[in-house]
Amino acid sequence: MDGPITPQAAERRRPPVIQPGQTYATVTDKISSIVLVRPTTPGWLAGFLVSFALVMLLFYAIAYLLVAGVGIWGVNIPVGWGFAIVNFVWWIGIGHAGTLISAILLLLNQQWRTSINRFAEAMTLFAVACAGLFPLLHLGRPWFFYWLLPYPNAMGVWPQFRSPLVWDVFAVTTYFTVSLIFWFVGLIPDLATLRDRAKKRSSRILYGILAMGWRGSALHWHRYQTAYLLLAGLATPLVVSVHTVVSFDFAVGILPGWHSTIFPPYFVAGAIYSGFAMVLTLAIPLRAVYGLEGFITMRHLENMAKVMLATGWIVAYGYVMENFMAWYSGNTYEGFTAWNRIAGPYGPAYWALILCNVLLPQLLWLKRVRTSVPALFVLALVINVGMWLERFVIVITSLHRDFLPSSWGMYSPTRWDWATLFGSIGLFVALLFLFIRFLPMISIFEMRELVSESPAGD
Amino acid sequence: MPKARTKSPIYGLLAEFDTPAALLVAAGHVREKGYRRMDAYTPFPVEGLAALLGFRYTRVPLITLIGGIFGGLAGYALQYWISAVNYPINVGGRPLHSWPSFIPVTFELSILGAALAAVLGMLALNGLPMPYHPVFHIPRFALASRDRFFLCIESSDSKFDRQETRHFLESLGPRDISDVPY
Amino acid sequence: MNKAAAYLPGSEIQRVQSGAVWVGISGFSLCLLGAYWNRVQFFHSYLFAFLFWTGIALGCLAIMMLHHLTAGAWGMVIRRLLESGSKTLALMAFLFVPLIFGLRSIYSWTQPIQLPSQQLEYLNIPFFIARAALYFLIWLWIVYLLGRWSQEQERGEGSRLLRKMRLLSGPGLVLYGLTASFAAIDWIMSLEPHWYSTIFGLLVIGGQVLSAMAFVIVALVLLAARQPLVGIVQPRHFHDLGKLLLAFVMIWAYLAFSQLLIIWSGNLTEEIPWYLHRWQGGWLWIGILLIVFHFALPFFLLLSRDLKRSGKTLAILAMFLLLMRAMDLFWLVVPGFSPERFRIHWMDVAASIGVGGLWLAFFIWQLKKRSLLPVGDPQLPPALERTHE
Repeated sequence: MDGPITPQAAERRRPPVIQPGQTYATVTDKISSIVLVRPTTPGWLAGFLVSFALVMLLFYAIAYLLVAGVGIWGVNIPVGWGFAIVNFVWWIGIGHAGTLISAILLLLNQQWRTSINRFAEAMTLFAVACAGLFPLLHLGRPWFFYWLLPYPNAMGVWPQFRSPLVWDVFAVTTYFTVSLIFWFVGLIPDLATLRDRAKKRSSRILYGILAMGWRGSALHWHRYQTAYLLLAGLATPLVVSVHTVVSFDFAVGILPGWHSTIFPPYFVAGAIYSGFAMVLTLAIPLRAVYGLEGFITMRHLENMAKVMLATGWIVAYGYVMENFMAWYSGNTYEGFTAWNRIAGPYGPAYWALILCNVLLPQLLWLKRVRTSVPALFVLALVINVGMWLERFVIVITSLHRDFLPSSWGMYSPTRWDWATLFGSIGLFVALLFLFIRFLPMISIFEMRELVSESPAGD
Repeated sequence: MPKARTKSPIYGLLAEFDTPAALLVAAGHVREKGYRRMDAYTPFPVEGLAALLGFRYTRVPLITLIGGIFGGLAGYALQYWISAVNYPINVGGRPLHSWPSFIPVTFELSILGAALAAVLGMLALNGLPMPYHPVFHIPRFALASRDRFFLCIESSDSKFDRQETRHFLESLGPRDISDVPY
Repeated sequence: MNKAAAYLPGSEIQRVQSGAVWVGISGFSLCLLGAYWNRVQFFHSYLFAFLFWTGIALGCLAIMMLHHLTAGAWGMVIRRLLESGSKTLALMAFLFVPLIFGLRSIYSWTQPIQLPSQQLEYLNIPFFIARAALYFLIWLWIVYLLGRWSQEQERGEGSRLLRKMRLLSGPGLVLYGLTASFAAIDWIMSLEPHWYSTIFGLLVIGGQVLSAMAFVIVALVLLAARQPLVGIVQPRHFHDLGKLLLAFVMIWAYLAFSQLLIIWSGNLTEEIPWYLHRWQGGWLWIGILLIVFHFALPFFLLLSRDLKRSGKTLAILAMFLLLMRAMDLFWLVVPGFSPERFRIHWMDVAASIGVGGLWLAFFIWQLKKRSLLPVGDPQLPPALERTHE
């Protein structure tokens, strides 16, 4: 342990995760200059304004909801869970890929994570923020949201811990908190870099406060790395647990199509699937606009494609098992629900999801597709849509026709449902625009570490 | 610690190196020479450096484990007390002490406790936030977050002597040496 | 590197192998004797033994394909063990034949009982045997191809074959996932034909992978202390394997708990009897022991870095986990025969040891045929490189 450092032998033969020719100084200057030097471009401004307009739409929809109540949405008996829950599950799932990229790939010592992890973590935070909105709005009286938390109160009541909806509160708040500190801990050394590079006094003070006096001491790094690894180790089962709890929202009930034991792993895989699709959807334009092809290389894109292929198959496995058991069990209601999904009034949505989630992604077996940027971008969009549809089919088809035909009904979203969905996408994108403008979107210190480990370094 | 030494007019001597390898070699020599109170400042974690500076074990994992166990126990106790003692209600005929239902929240709170303990423990042991530190007086120290590697021998070291230590540091071939004032 | 190319030393392993053969034959003879008096019990015990050892073989196959896909250093030191372990599927295919003669003693759906018509379409003896044949064909075909390419590696062209193995492992894992799940449904779930659970296949797969990882760790530690592997397997290899063992313990617990919570909360008459059978007449104690010793204890012990880096302690824990795996499988299978109260028959033990003896002898026979490390693989030298940890 005390000996001189030996050159890192790993990763020599594969395509580089960082282009040759980069030095400590160039990675530092290139990434920090995006934040500090580069002026606000018209493209950034235009993109931000468009997404901000959607945020305004979201605020408008929320304001009207608070005034008029959830009756403005398409939900009613029997479909009491509509877009709000679909969007919640969809957004939470998107968030999961960010944590996984950061945490699991760190634990597995995969160096290719370095250039995308910061960005993926930010994506997680914003996606969870969007997700958190929906159950709150769905409460009916969102201003009493704090009733969900266990605190001594004058009414003398407590939350009911046998309900998965209360587990959700704990899972999502824990997830948001841990993602936030994970992201912030990762940012500390880079905030110190920005503090030392910033020209304006105001930004120096701001970044200085956030960096908390980080000075890169060897002892600090030692504890820092330990804590960061531990956080990664904690975040990994946390991600799994969060989407598991989300799946319990459905599976713990006894509705046919919801009450299925495969739900936890199948939801987790679906979350990773859609999350990686979202990372690709965002990373592909970003690397083009900011000239980051040297950091987000073809190898990243191909690896993400492989993860999508693998998780896509777990999702497909879930579809197979669900349908097989619906048939095998001989249970009338299970059988009907499966048939109603395939051939009922929402059948087109089911077939579209099979096309988007199972059939088209098989193209990813081909290396030619995995290494073609436009093809990947299109497939990522397709999977995003497919996974949204999957949640739509799960939520709506099980509710609209359950046990008694006399209580069947149809669900159709209203313009306010759509406004909230697109508004939340706007919120997500607007937050991302702010992030890439004011914080380093690639971990600078980890890139320096990569430089030191690459053959050309030192 | 004797008073005479802490009264030294400077905090220490800061040597600047170009590469992590050079810093590691220098840190090794400094340690061999018998210096103990020193620190190195690098733009990214350099493997083996903390060990060379005489630092091996950190208590962060232990703090994390305690935080996790505390979070889990507290979470389970909270649910048990609420559901079975303080506010017992019948939910679908399930027992008041529905242990399978209590696992998810117990798990979440274990993770929350462990994660908070890890970060707060790390910051506390590092003494952060610390807005003021003598090394920030050196303008070139800004490069410690870019591409330079610094080694600081602190004046509180019993072997520290402003002249001698400076000569010794010079012999290690640094790019630059500066006095760090308090 | 010359050391790495070495084969298993002859004399000692020869003794172990012939010992295993004798243990196998005596276990089998005892069981045959027992079958004379209690034919039904023989088949129950034999099914359990067959499932346990087939599980290890299948787990080896799954981990091997995972290793080909991810190419981690951890997989290089256990590659031969995984290959030999998965090749025992040939033996298990042969040992499946006796089960065919006992289906009527094992599965209640072979008797005229009240079942939905779809289930009768699926659960009937000809289709059951045809499916089992198909599973084994698929598994053996993958094992054969991967084994052949791995052997060809030793004659050069390492990287080209590496690519081939990787290309097969992707679809191979998909095929494994589907066939192993349906095998779990056929062989275990259908013991209680009214019950169904969509996670069950994954639960059994998780158990298989955990069993195989525990077995491989025990075998590697035993070999690493002897020539020719002395000094080649390093603490970091054990560390990686220990981490994987921890991950598999957690995945198993996750899957088992998910199924429990969902069925327990739903409390439906179609599903809950399965747990009721396992919560009464002493079975509950097995369940509690599983929570403590199959999950809690190994979980906390495996958090320790020192334990994972020391081969010896890791192997002791892995051995213990292997026992727990047997207990878990027992808890899955046997309440199907005896739901009222806990029972264990001497033939359960004798059959497991009998099949295990033959399995081990077959495993060693395969292991002896090749060098102990995949010397032709270009990934081997970096995997064995000494690091300064």
